[in-house]
Amino acid sequence: MVAPTILGERDDNQKLYRRGVTMLRPAIAAFVVGTLWVSSLQAQYTVQFETYQLDNGLTVILSQDHSAPIVTINVWYDVGSADERLNRSGFAHLFEHMMFEGSANVGSDEYGQLIQRAGGTLNGTTNEDRTAYYETLPSNRLNLGLWLEADRMRSLVITAENFEVQRNAVQEERRLRIDNQPYQPAFVESSTLLYDSTTCFGYAHTVIGDMADLNAAEVGDVQAFFDLYYAPNNATITVVGDFDRAEAKALIQQYYGDIPAGNPTPPRECEFEYNTGEKLINWPDKHATLPAVLMLYRTPRHDDQDSRALQLLGNIMGSGESSRLHRALVRGSQSALGSGASGGGHREAGQFFLFAIANQGVEADSLLAELKAQVLKVVEEGITEEELSKARNSFRASTIFGNQRTMSVSNRLMHYAHDHDSIDEINTDLDLYLSVTAEDIKRVANTYLRDENVVIMMVVPETEEGEEGVS
Amino acid sequence: MKRFTSLRKIPAILVATFTFAGCAGSGSSTAIMQAASQPYPTSPPAAMELRPLQFPEFGEATLSNGLRLVVVENRELPIVSIRITMPAGRSFDPEGKEGLASLTATLLSEGTETRTAEQIAELIEGVGGSLNAGAGADFFTVSSTVLTDYTDLAFELIGDVLLNATFPEEDLERERARTLSSLRLAKSNPNQLANRYFAAAVYGDHPYGRTATEVSVNLITRDDIVAYASTRLLPEGALMVVAGDISLDEVINYTERYLGGWTGAAPEIEFPEPPAASPTKILLVHRPGSDQSDVIVGNLALRPGDDSYYAGVVGNRVLGGGSDARLFLILREEKGWTYGAYSSISRPRDVGTFRAGTQVRNSVTDSALTELMAQLRRIQTEPVPAAELEGAKGYLVGSFPRTIETPQQIANQVSTVKLLDLGDDYLATYRSRLASVTPEDIAAATGSIITPDWEVIVVVGDGGEIYDKLLSIAAVEIIDVDGNPLDPSDLVVSEMARFNAAALEAGSLRYNIMMQGNAMGTQTATLAIEDGVISYTEEMALPQFGMSQNVEVKFRADLSMISLNQTGTFGPMSPVTNVMYDGNRVTGSGQSPGATGLESVEIDTTLAEGTIDVNLLQPLVSTLELSEGLKLGATVFDGSDGTIRNVTITVGAAEEITVAAGTFEAFRVQLLGLETEIVLYVEVAAPHRVVKVEVIGQPIVMELEG
Repeated sequence: MVAPTILGERDDNQKLYRRGVTMLRPAIAAFVVGTLWVSSLQAQYTVQFETYQLDNGLTVILSQDHSAPIVTINVWYDVGSADERLNRSGFAHLFEHMMFEGSANVGSDEYGQLIQRAGGTLNGTTNEDRTAYYETLPSNRLNLGLWLEADRMRSLVITAENFEVQRNAVQEERRLRIDNQPYQPAFVESSTLLYDSTTCFGYAHTVIGDMADLNAAEVGDVQAFFDLYYAPNNATITVVGDFDRAEAKALIQQYYGDIPAGNPTPPRECEFEYNTGEKLINWPDKHATLPAVLMLYRTPRHDDQDSRALQLLGNIMGSGESSRLHRALVRGSQSALGSGASGGGHREAGQFFLFAIANQGVEADSLLAELKAQVLKVVEEGITEEELSKARNSFRASTIFGNQRTMSVSNRLMHYAHDHDSIDEINTDLDLYLSVTAEDIKRVANTYLRDENVVIMMVVPETEEGEEGVS
Repeated sequence: MKRFTSLRKIPAILVATFTFAGCAGSGSSTAIMQAASQPYPTSPPAAMELRPLQFPEFGEATLSNGLRLVVVENRELPIVSIRITMPAGRSFDPEGKEGLASLTATLLSEGTETRTAEQIAELIEGVGGSLNAGAGADFFTVSSTVLTDYTDLAFELIGDVLLNATFPEEDLERERARTLSSLRLAKSNPNQLANRYFAAAVYGDHPYGRTATEVSVNLITRDDIVAYASTRLLPEGALMVVAGDISLDEVINYTERYLGGWTGAAPEIEFPEPPAASPTKILLVHRPGSDQSDVIVGNLALRPGDDSYYAGVVGNRVLGGGSDARLFLILREEKGWTYGAYSSISRPRDVGTFRAGTQVRNSVTDSALTELMAQLRRIQTEPVPAAELEGAKGYLVGSFPRTIETPQQIANQVSTVKLLDLGDDYLATYRSRLASVTPEDIAAATGSIITPDWEVIVVVGDGGEIYDKLLSIAAVEIIDVDGNPLDPSDLVVSEMARFNAAALEAGSLRYNIMMQGNAMGTQTATLAIEDGVISYTEEMALPQFGMSQNVEVKFRADLSMISLNQTGTFGPMSPVTNVMYDGNRVTGSGQSPGATGLESVEIDTTLAEGTIDVNLLQPLVSTLELSEGLKLGATVFDGSDGTIRNVTITVGAAEEITVAAGTFEAFRVQLLGLETEIVLYVEVAAPHRVVKVEVIGQPIVMELEG
């Protein structure tokens, strides 16, 4: 009862839970009868786009799709928690809140109101690598969405008062969505443990940050953060949907052209080493009633061919009811109530992640032994062609379904603009996933899934008196 | 979404936005130059020209078996979405077998002559697709979405479940149990009760007024399901809409291949005319102990195709269509009576309804209902101001395109148009028809759609607290939650239960806590008597859920209470309650698990004479002289949340109950007025033990083990 609820609450809009996104991809069963997937897919279904820069450095990506009279405007600022410096954690996420507090020509309640009265939707999200804002509108309100984003880019209202309001909101969010939930603190903290905060502070702390840092922040710090990171030269605006190109370009020039460029942003610093020795951490959790085990291995950055092989392996090991962990631990030995695995990671560094939540009466130690046995099996024996075929189908289907809506196309364009060498890879990346072989997967398992490269978190239920939890 | 709950202000700037305005028209280079050289605007730009909605053309065909085909070819992406809709929804349930269509839908993919349920699931999930069946009020649908490569599989599975479903008996029993459990839950949910009685009152004997009951669901047999599927899930009169990467010819080929043997027509069923409207009256559904009242006001309104729909929808958006509409702003923001208040216009295949509803505190039930009625009259009589009109149209016109973004969404929209016979230009003209609605149109349309003098009003609440208040608004008819008529005198419980603690004997009873037929835990209830002090303890353990609770109540044979000590573990929460009774005084502190954490309460209050600790209801009910039809009151105190509750104890017929301890003749004793409804089954014969406990609305049953 505990596990499904926790996992079900994860939301791919919530940066705090982003690891959940891959883990919870709907089950794709392994039953593939003589199915051939067509590798020429990408040639047939390309995303057409155009990209250019304004004089002030704002990157613009336009992609037309006239199938429905709607348009999505997506603005990414190239700042995430990975850009934060020691004693200044949590700023990127706090800023996402501040962006709804009003600007020179828009009142603090008005963003949502103006968008809703135009029939649109909107949201904002933050993760380690970027902060994103989007709205989907009927296409004749393109100008409204562009103008609202421009108004806050050029004239966000930063006062001690609204800073205080949002600082409290963030702390409440942390209490409600992390601190008060079983397993959440462990999930949120786990990936930070792979990195050393002296060489890679960016990934060695959480997105939501340290409350003490937020409490120590002053309104002047916020203004300085805005001036540095929310400048047009550090932003990308993507427009996808039913619009006239010349008209969109003219509006973007009119609304954004005279926003002054900011100073260059400091480079990210993240250095890490593989195979620094197995690290095992006991993590008491007063809300958990059952033990859980999390295993994280350091892997290459997202845009690396080894990462693709590891992502396919994550699907094979941990996605759906036909996955290895589910078959072995949940249905087979029944040691686990739930399990999952995923490969993936940040722009500069990646992780391979496995977890299992123990069934009643199962100790964390024996659960860890079973998880390790599953890793060893892949390292020694590799995977089957059927498993590979299922994983390829799964990636292919999710890529194609991801092209249905202007909102998801705009996010995909942004992803390639930010996390890959070139946006053009949006049309070639799937082929790289489909080219992964069973040998590749065995090789990456041998390279990265090593005992000396793992961080293990043993989540142990704890009552308030510090004893083992009631069960 | 973070902070868009407050929508109080109406931006004047959004006035009149559906004509040429502001920025450059598309494609004109002069206009573009102008736009680029224009200064940055300091107020939100006016809407641009509405872009044409190029709704895809449909390919249509009717097959020899009578199946109508609509194909919305869209080659943009390699995705195919198939949806078959048959006039076989819940309104076709035979009288007395309500729930049949829904059960049939649930069981449709639970196995065919050649595939098990697991194989069907593996096949469709293995290709990243989906397969669904469902029964709405009017229609029964079977649908599938896949990548183009697996189109063949999707048609094959749809054909297989439609033609060869086997409806296994054991799956029927499992699904029946789930349906019954959700019906019991619905009975404890005031909002669902209000919906059910509103439908019954406004539609009378028309099928839209009938809903599944425990009785009707229990009467459904496998034969009924097989018969329903073979006589109603037929191609004549059905509609298949296919959208995406496929042509009409391909669809016809697949259909011939996999649905070739599908023939037949469902018998025509004429729906009776719904009852004629009568002057406004109130149906009060008495729910003892209800803290708030659920109110629905409404009437029969439009048939599909009625042109006043457009102005009606815009008027409804102004009246109660969202969190920026009048009902919400007045009842919630201005008066603070409720969390929400909304209105809606339904458009089913036969005649639909207008309705407005809210949930309010008992004390303001009459004020809220009066205000709601005033707003219904106002929308008909006062011209809607321009700013409100444009806000409403902006939302309705603007949000429509987001509902036709994917082929699957398009298929849904096309299905609606075809099934309700709204005309082929409906989708193409929908936005402009909404945009052209005037204040006069709204007054005229709402004048016929809303009938304030001829309303059905349903109020679900505690009749004892609200009956008198409602009388000043309209005539009131009272029923209980099961629909039985009540007299105003029934709202007051005259006789209080006379518990006889002196008859209690020391001993212990052990119960299994069952969830869906599986024993998940135990509860042990023990009575001990020493030096004139009776001690009642309950030890409950549900280890798999991390839940346990220990309760100890001390009291005397004259029913004077001494103390309550209660500790529990509910996942992360460990509530502790310690209460001391001293005469009529009770002091101490209580804790109970709440939605967001432990809720604590300090207790220092006075209790009415004869109030007992809530935990004693179960042991003391064995000391009453029970007989069928008996109705008694009891006042109980719940130390965990500090509430005093008036409980109604209603004794139903004796039933044969089989539990681990044996088979017993037992009275069904209903306890109303607690947080949730509880049913105790009490042995008819001495020692009148409680042999079974049901917590209504939760999948939990306790059964006597020994």
